[in-house]
Amino acid sequence: MATREPETGWHGEDSDVNHLRGRAFEATCLAATAFGLVSVLLLLLFVANDAFRPFSADAGWLATYAATVLVPLAALAVYYYRLDEPAGEVAYVTSGLPVVGLLLTGGFAVLFIELLSVLEWFALLISLVVAGGLIAAHGRLRPKAALERLAVVLLAPIVTVFGLPPTSFNRFVTDTAAALGLDFGLYYRVISLREAIMMLPFVPTDWVMLLLTLVLPVAGAAGWFVEQRRESRRDGLAVVGLTTAVAVVGVVAGPLLGIGTDVWLLVVTFAVLPLGVYVEGVLRRGEGVRGLAFPVAAVLGVVVGSVVTGALGFAGPDPWLDWGFLTSATSRTAADAGIYPAMVGSVMMIIVIVLTTFPVGVGAAIYLEEYAPSQGLMGKFVTLIEINIGNLAGVPSVVYGLLGLALFIRVLQWPQGSVIVAGLAVGLLILPIVIISAQEAIRSVPDSFRQASYGMGATRWQTIRQVVLPEALPGILTGTILALGRAIGETAPLLMIGAAASVRLAPNSFFDVASMMPRQIFSWSSELDPSFRHGVLAAGVITLLAVLLVMNATAIVIRNRYQRTG
Amino acid sequence: MTDSPSGGFSRRRFLTSSGAIGTLALAGCTQNTSSGNGDGSGNNSSDGSSSDGLSGQVIIKGSSTVFPISDAMAEEFMEEHENVNVTVDSTGSGGGFENWFCPGDSDINGASRPISDAEIEQCSGNDVEPVEFEIAGDALTVAVNNDADWVDCITFDELRQIWSDEAGVTNWSDVRDEWPDMEIERYGPASTSGTFDYFNENVVGEDTEHTTEYQPTEEDETIVQGIRDNEGGIGYFGFAYYNSNSEAVKAVEVRAEEGDECTPPSLANAKDGSYPLARPLFLYVAESALQTEEVSEFVEFYLEQAETDVVQEIGYVPSSAEQRDENLEKLDEIAG
Repeated sequence: MATREPETGWHGEDSDVNHLRGRAFEATCLAATAFGLVSVLLLLLFVANDAFRPFSADAGWLATYAATVLVPLAALAVYYYRLDEPAGEVAYVTSGLPVVGLLLTGGFAVLFIELLSVLEWFALLISLVVAGGLIAAHGRLRPKAALERLAVVLLAPIVTVFGLPPTSFNRFVTDTAAALGLDFGLYYRVISLREAIMMLPFVPTDWVMLLLTLVLPVAGAAGWFVEQRRESRRDGLAVVGLTTAVAVVGVVAGPLLGIGTDVWLLVVTFAVLPLGVYVEGVLRRGEGVRGLAFPVAAVLGVVVGSVVTGALGFAGPDPWLDWGFLTSATSRTAADAGIYPAMVGSVMMIIVIVLTTFPVGVGAAIYLEEYAPSQGLMGKFVTLIEINIGNLAGVPSVVYGLLGLALFIRVLQWPQGSVIVAGLAVGLLILPIVIISAQEAIRSVPDSFRQASYGMGATRWQTIRQVVLPEALPGILTGTILALGRAIGETAPLLMIGAAASVRLAPNSFFDVASMMPRQIFSWSSELDPSFRHGVLAAGVITLLAVLLVMNATAIVIRNRYQRTG
Repeated sequence: MTDSPSGGFSRRRFLTSSGAIGTLALAGCTQNTSSGNGDGSGNNSSDGSSSDGLSGQVIIKGSSTVFPISDAMAEEFMEEHENVNVTVDSTGSGGGFENWFCPGDSDINGASRPISDAEIEQCSGNDVEPVEFEIAGDALTVAVNNDADWVDCITFDELRQIWSDEAGVTNWSDVRDEWPDMEIERYGPASTSGTFDYFNENVVGEDTEHTTEYQPTEEDETIVQGIRDNEGGIGYFGFAYYNSNSEAVKAVEVRAEEGDECTPPSLANAKDGSYPLARPLFLYVAESALQTEEVSEFVEFYLEQAETDVVQEIGYVPSSAEQRDENLEKLDEIAG
């Protein structure tokens, strides 16, 4: 660019250049943008108004909260924006972190309520750690035996988690033998470490197990982080110690305040600890410290507001989207209806999708980008495959629903409307998107990186593992999370695989019948009672949007980190 | 080459320290597991408050007309038996039989018409033996736009003209001369629906084809919306949907023949048989499913409650006491 001579002398000098067309084009583009944004905003406001019904509150209630919360926060926001931008970022993060932390807390609480008991979680984690230890020990003792290590990496988790042979495999063999008329079975098996722990007559109490397996590892990671940043081992240990102390004090004092011990430990791990580490960093850097006033003002405002409205007797709004909505099942009376089982179903469906789609999609992308031949007849074939993956990304979702119905329900005979079937059908739907975005991410790693790696004598496998994948990972994650955002909102495949209109129990396993959020919202849209269509429906939509926004925000944070470090 | 010595050092220390903490904790705070369930199966039985320990699942598919009743029954039943998962879905009577009930994927199918011979055949091909219970009555309602002041009462013959292609009717004036020259916008249930089948058989007639020139849907709510928004709209659906949307659309009185008396749709008129479009609603239960305790308990509950005001509140005619006793007797015979 800089080498070229600046071109002057012929255009722009003439005074009768017509700017009209350019201006008109600019105005049209602006109008298109404004129209799109304004209509989406209006729609959201309309739905939010239905869901929260702010105007069902007394005028005094609204005025009180406007004075105690809205005005101070708006003033602070304007101040940060105009005068102190670093403080604005601090304010943003310190307000956002607890929200994300509490959402994570909710996610884990649901996990422990619906899926695993704390003991099962404890046993599973210990077994995985032991398996990791075995793999590491093997790597230490026999660093050269690569093939043997592969076997250990595959077998160790199976042996410690599932036993030898695994129960389901055992049952499969026995059943098959019985079907063939043979009495053949593996009656003796080595039970896994997980099962052994489950059978112990005495195990630690729930909170101790949570403290060991959740609080301490997360606190350890945070301590390590602080240790690196401050280059002081003592500070790192202080973080771990302080976290443990806060957790234990909460466990002892919690019952007095009416907080469950498990919930308290989760809150400490996911909300208090990250916030504490972040605030510590802010205070140490001394940059944007004024931003800490924002969350403090928010909390104070709410407290003062509730005291004032309580004293003056102003009635608050009666929103459709409230705590009861998030924690109860659907009902035929609109006021009692809730989204809890559907929310659990959606989260479990996302787990299935992540566990299946991510490895398959990223694996396919790595093969297509790094290994697949690009020349000759095979190269043409690979191009054909890539084109078809692009086409698959555009196939309507109903088709994937039909595929799921035919394959998983009719052929494999899995229970219709179950979490696993829904997850796999929707997973197939987003698989092409995951492959394409992962391919893009891998392609964007500069070729010079690979050449440099080869130049240093690395093999292709080492290059991919050590150079290409770490560089491409943030891009892959961003693409995958955005694809998951699409997955969680899909309705048509769920209808095809028979997810029922009303399910009142949250699923306990992946083979349980479940409802998902979009399916539940769709069935509310056809309820007899109009208050379902105007109130409950809006509350469901807002919940779904909130989950989507959190997922997209995660994607953005990951991308930003990538841009900063990369 | 990849493992730096410091990495190995900290890992080893991590292992030893976590092991030490674990041992300490094991020695200290422990709980006794032997009192709980020792088999460690996936379900946590912490909420063991359910009185009877009945568990399992009941899958209901079928008619969108029966859906509100089944959904209410499911909710009431699950209040008593909180570990039984009763799921209800509205797929249309025919859609439910063909796609879910007869292939053996659902336990119960709601239907707004009796099961057809072809469906019985399909079911028996898969060893599914349907057991029929008549659980309620409905007054199929023909509705028009609130502004359609010209039509108050309509005969079967006029309905036949409107809902079949034979007469070539496109405008209201084609049916009756004094009606306005306005296009008829038809909204009706999809052909998988039992309401469609009933209407096709009893009004349009078996020899005549139901028109395809209409907006078919599985959601009765969509029909109501279509009629509300179009002045020339007409449609038909179960009475319950009219009952909760009586402001939005106008129900038309119906008479079978020219000389008959015009009768408005209502539960009372459906009960005494004076409303010509009154029809029974059915529940079909797979005989094999009835052998499981949760399904037979649920069906028994359903049949008992079908006689109460719950059904009336939703907008259907509850089954009579004799009907209920007959149903329960039938259930007793099969479930044992």
